[in-house]
Amino acid sequence: MILTEVMASLLLISGCFFYIAGTVGLLRFPDVFSRLHALTKADNLGLFLICTGLAVNSGSPRITGLLLVVWILGLLAATVSCHLIARRAIRSGQAEPPVAEPRAADPTP
Amino acid sequence: MMDWVLSATALVLLLNLGVGMIRVYRGPTPADRMLAALLFGTTTVAVLLVLADWVGLPALRDVALLFVMLAAIISVAFAGLPTTDEEER
Amino acid sequence: MIGLAIDSVLALGIVWMALQTVRSDSLFQAMLMFIVFGLLMSLAWARLHAPDLALAEAAIGAGITGALLLVTWRRLQVHGPDDSNGPRLMTRWLALPIACASALLVIIIGWTALQLPAVPGTAGELTLQRLEDIGVSNPVTGVLLGFRAYDTLMEMAVLLAAWLGARAVATEFRPGVLPGPAHAEVPLVGALLSLVVPISILVAVYLLQAGGSAPGGAFQGGAVLAAGGVLLCLTGRLEAAAQASALERVGVILGLAVFSLTGLIVMATGGPMLALPGVWAIYLVETALLLSIALTLVLLFAAAPGLRRAP
Repeated sequence: MILTEVMASLLLISGCFFYIAGTVGLLRFPDVFSRLHALTKADNLGLFLICTGLAVNSGSPRITGLLLVVWILGLLAATVSCHLIARRAIRSGQAEPPVAEPRAADPTP
Repeated sequence: MMDWVLSATALVLLLNLGVGMIRVYRGPTPADRMLAALLFGTTTVAVLLVLADWVGLPALRDVALLFVMLAAIISVAFAGLPTTDEEER
Repeated sequence: MIGLAIDSVLALGIVWMALQTVRSDSLFQAMLMFIVFGLLMSLAWARLHAPDLALAEAAIGAGITGALLLVTWRRLQVHGPDDSNGPRLMTRWLALPIACASALLVIIIGWTALQLPAVPGTAGELTLQRLEDIGVSNPVTGVLLGFRAYDTLMEMAVLLAAWLGARAVATEFRPGVLPGPAHAEVPLVGALLSLVVPISILVAVYLLQAGGSAPGGAFQGGAVLAAGGVLLCLTGRLEAAAQASALERVGVILGLAVFSLTGLIVMATGGPMLALPGVWAIYLVETALLLSIALTLVLLFAAAPGLRRAP
């Protein structure tokens, strides 16, 4: 009993950490695209850890299934949203698109 | 102990949401503001899930499911579909 | 202790968001504040143990209102507001006294309500005691369809009137908010649709079914189904048609018609009007209401007489 509580607490706390990291990234990173990168960590890992923590805490298969669906839908929504927003940011010309680093050793000419 | 951890998690996530508001004010582009709103959406989902356990209302998980299911609609509405000639540019 | 802190943060946040929504200089910022306001409201309903309202707020706020606001903003980007330099309302000096008077009124009413002694045997308590007679254990559904069916019927009439009004105002046909036929396909959108639209149908049916015993019901289910339809409109899968098809005309009045007919049949057999005879009647009426609500909301969102599948 104690073990599951400790595990659930640890998972919830690490979930909070990723949410806080996402917010710090959102506030500190210099442009839209790097902020996008910070945000997806909160969306993916933060939500995943919170869901896992709650699933461990509840111990019921039905709730675990529901939390899994919530997380998968969250992943999908975050992926599509970030793609669309980045696309719009490039197209509207309000933000410079990131330039890919030239690869040092490219085997194909 | 679990009650305490759950309520503290909810509080931390809420405060986190409050701090994120700064990005909505600062912008500078609509895309930045939109990103902050997206983060708030995910945070709300997490808070609802935590509240469902803490308050003992299983129906709140359904509310979280609705939010996460409909989260993408706002971004699609924000970005819109490009027209074909825009795409060829 | 932490509960109090959460409640304080929520209460302050809601008031702050409301303030920022009305007094923000940038239109886009105000819209986002309103969306965040909706998120906080649903958390407040959750804290107040009102999951029915939280569900409605989630379905309407996240699915329809937010999309409507952002689509409007995008249209304004293209066309620009007609009177951007026009006269603004001269109410700034009046706003403060009015706001103070309103706040005072709210405080007085709240204070008075707190002072009132608890009255035994109120309508609410009697309703909860008689809930078993209706056959549903969710008090909200029981009250909506068992104890104030007339009000619910009128709400459906209001929704129909809103749709008729929108049709009457939009005299010329403009396929406005939906992407035109020349839209390009964006990667990932197909994957999103193929997951979210079936799940929205599933969740709508689940909410309808759960409405008898748990939070849910026709209104929430209808709003979820409508959100799926809105997504189809936004991604160009549904496009505006110049005329409503026969099916759409039937769908818009279905809820009102089934509800009224059921109520009238009961009256013809000697019962009081709208006294639904049993659980099956409640589910029949709720299903009709759900379909009508969903269709009306999508048609209102698209601002079109009808919808058809995009080629």
